[in-house]
Amino acid sequence: MNLSRREWIALAGTALAAGCAPLAARATAKAQPEDFETPGNSEEPGRRLYNRAGFGPRPGNLARYREQGHARTVEQLLRADEPEDAALMMQLMRLDVLRVDPAELHDLKEETILAQLQQAAILRAVYGRNPLLERMSEFWTDHLNIFGKKRPAAWHKGADETKVVRRHALGSFPEMVRESARSPAMLTFLDGTQNQKGQPNENYARELMELHTLGVDGGYTQDDVMEVARCFSGWTVEDRFLRPRGRFRFDPDRHDAGEKRVLGTRIPAGGGIEDGEKVIEIVCAHPATARHLARKLVRKFVGTESPKLESQVEKAYWESRGEIREMLGPILTSRELLEGPPILKRPFDLVVSALRALDATTDAGNALQDHLEAMGQPIYQWPMPDGYPVETDAWSGSMLPRWRFAFALGAGALRGTSFSDGLVPATIYQALMGDDRVPLDLSGQDAASMAGLCIASPGFQWR
Amino acid sequence: MHDWHTCDGSGRLEGNGVAAGVTRRGVMVGMGMGLLAWATPAIAQLAIDPAKRDGNVLVVVFLRGGADGLSLVVPFGDETYYRLRPNLAIQRRLTHPLDGFYGLHPSLAPLLPLYESGRMAVVHACGSQDETRSHFEAMDTMERGAAKKEGPSSGWIARYLQASEQRSDSPLRAVAFGSTMPGSLIGATGSVALESLTDYRLDIDPRSLKLLERLYAPGKDEIAEAGRRTFDVLSAMDRLNVSGYRPESGAAYPESDLGKGLRQTAQLIKAGIGLEIACLDKGGWDTHVAQGTATAGWLPTLLDDMARSLSAFDTDLGGRMDGVTVVVMSEFGRRIAENSGLGTDHGHGGVMFVLGGGVRGGRVHARWEGLEKAVGPGDLPVTTDYRDVLADVARHRLRPAATREVFAGYSPGSLGLMG
Repeated sequence: MNLSRREWIALAGTALAAGCAPLAARATAKAQPEDFETPGNSEEPGRRLYNRAGFGPRPGNLARYREQGHARTVEQLLRADEPEDAALMMQLMRLDVLRVDPAELHDLKEETILAQLQQAAILRAVYGRNPLLERMSEFWTDHLNIFGKKRPAAWHKGADETKVVRRHALGSFPEMVRESARSPAMLTFLDGTQNQKGQPNENYARELMELHTLGVDGGYTQDDVMEVARCFSGWTVEDRFLRPRGRFRFDPDRHDAGEKRVLGTRIPAGGGIEDGEKVIEIVCAHPATARHLARKLVRKFVGTESPKLESQVEKAYWESRGEIREMLGPILTSRELLEGPPILKRPFDLVVSALRALDATTDAGNALQDHLEAMGQPIYQWPMPDGYPVETDAWSGSMLPRWRFAFALGAGALRGTSFSDGLVPATIYQALMGDDRVPLDLSGQDAASMAGLCIASPGFQWR
Repeated sequence: MHDWHTCDGSGRLEGNGVAAGVTRRGVMVGMGMGLLAWATPAIAQLAIDPAKRDGNVLVVVFLRGGADGLSLVVPFGDETYYRLRPNLAIQRRLTHPLDGFYGLHPSLAPLLPLYESGRMAVVHACGSQDETRSHFEAMDTMERGAAKKEGPSSGWIARYLQASEQRSDSPLRAVAFGSTMPGSLIGATGSVALESLTDYRLDIDPRSLKLLERLYAPGKDEIAEAGRRTFDVLSAMDRLNVSGYRPESGAAYPESDLGKGLRQTAQLIKAGIGLEIACLDKGGWDTHVAQGTATAGWLPTLLDDMARSLSAFDTDLGGRMDGVTVVVMSEFGRRIAENSGLGTDHGHGGVMFVLGGGVRGGRVHARWEGLEKAVGPGDLPVTTDYRDVLADVARHRLRPAATREVFAGYSPGSLGLMG
């Protein structure tokens, strides 16, 4: 399956002809520093693309990549219009958190809700046919993080995931922020429900600017935070008797109707719900937001800073008025994407990429979720508004749980998750490490220990 | 913003056999023969360097349920105590006097030598600003290092760990004994919850284990290093012999969860594998009904277990205790007046103990306003913020970190508890 170096260069040439310059450079440049020499960790661009723009390749993805080339694969990833797998849809349909209106969910325990939410996240990432949509959903889930254990955020997170994160994951950033500001999950997590006239709660106002839009050095002041809090006063969650509980509601009685001034712009008195809308308009049209998002996206996909690429992405934000697809385009076709340093897989990434590579079947149930928790990433349970960390240091303390997951999956000891016992060790090695040549030391391993060793290996921790 | 001082704790845990035993050779012997062939100069060194490790350990014991501070440390000098607790008050002569005003509960006698030798301090009328008197809210507030409900959702220890993490940190830098992660560690991706040290193991066939170790041997990146440290810990754990552990100096740990947890904490400390923070729980303090007499019943049983566990821990660690500080805390104290069921209801101010190395003990730190000046439904006012205690200990015992970040914007003062 794997291409030889010569085939590589030939392929790169074709791609160049197709207008995809970075690949040519790719053939001569070494992507990973010497330090990351790991057994058979292929540097094939298709693998890199699927590792970065998605949660790793599934069998068949790379063959198709070679057929159609980098540029067309990127186009397809960006379109994200592949019909989803029917079996996946059936599995998702069974989950109350997605099927039932949040107002009707209150009979369920928080624990059950969080388990179902995680199940949905894992299933979508493993079986989703649109890898970039899944990768960006992960990104926005962190960017607009909700701590599921701050009551009652869990009950609203399913709707937040659908209406905020997934609906806009590749669409309009300002639309996503607008939807997020009125998401009951966000109103709960960042205390919007507490924010009222005379008793402002600054929590959401601060994070809206610091994390969601402008960035920590985005030039806003403490006064701006207070003024933004006033603008959003009265944005709350419906809790009145005989009303559709759990929906967004603007309560004019709790709204501070006075004049405000946000980032130098005067917001006249009496604006009502328009005040908050106006704030979102102001922050989304602020240069600091374009810069903040460009930096964060480049870091997410490339693994390091790149001022040149960042300025392209920033420009794309401006020209498209915040269209996320337009920002991603330059990143996915960049040389930097292919040449950037390795990025550590967070636990969710490790699990999903292993299951995808092995074409495993999973119910994404408790057994798998327990492993994620032991590895430090029970989804929707990061307590801070900034989302799970991306730094390697934050995760390097928990290698043992990664290994336990790897060998449990390999040995078929993971309840609800398995891969075909028809896979021979060499195929497993190829699928996980992207190399046909099994190292001598590993030859003779049976399928179970081969899978365990590959998933537990240093090379598979990176992408 | 002020930073914690750097602790010069290096060498405090010097010269114990187990630490010296964490060598690559030890691992190889542990793994069996085949590995020798793979031993390259690159791996012939320790991933965890005993000379570099801090050797400073903070142990946090959380008494869950709201421990009755007025029984733990009796304010026998305050008449109101006797007036409001006609049946439950502990007579002065039964307590172990700490000074002319306070006395230790009779069942806490095993802690008395620590206090008298100046290695245990008491902080009274201490707590958070939480006014809900709800276990959940009050515990949550304290474990987040916050003043009350507001503030970050992550734990204070988690924020400390994140603010001070280093590339060479041990995989067992922070351990919680129990089935779940305490609130103070929420948001610490690298912390480990263990019901027993024997849970820290990798049950795979020996050949795979050897191969895995070999895969991690050559790399210079962070993950390869972290993997090698994990192998060091695994092999150290393998040799710990948890069930056959013999505490030193005749220390006798009770067979309770706390006793077992502290015994294993001592084992980990002696193993020198980079433990910095251990969190332990002791539940059962919600004594609404029949909380017991001075010498028998519910509370004395809990106190006896707590005191004997802590005393055994101190005896077992001996000189190593110089690098170890233990903090005992609870989410709130209990109502001053007893209730009709011979128990006490949820209150406000409570008591904290700080014991071990570096403690300026033999003193009760408290600003006592008198029990007649009760707050809320009749509770001991909080005159010392619990974060002042934690910060005092942390500054002395842990790595430098921004206290405002760790304690949710609060700049703790110093009580002079350590030094």
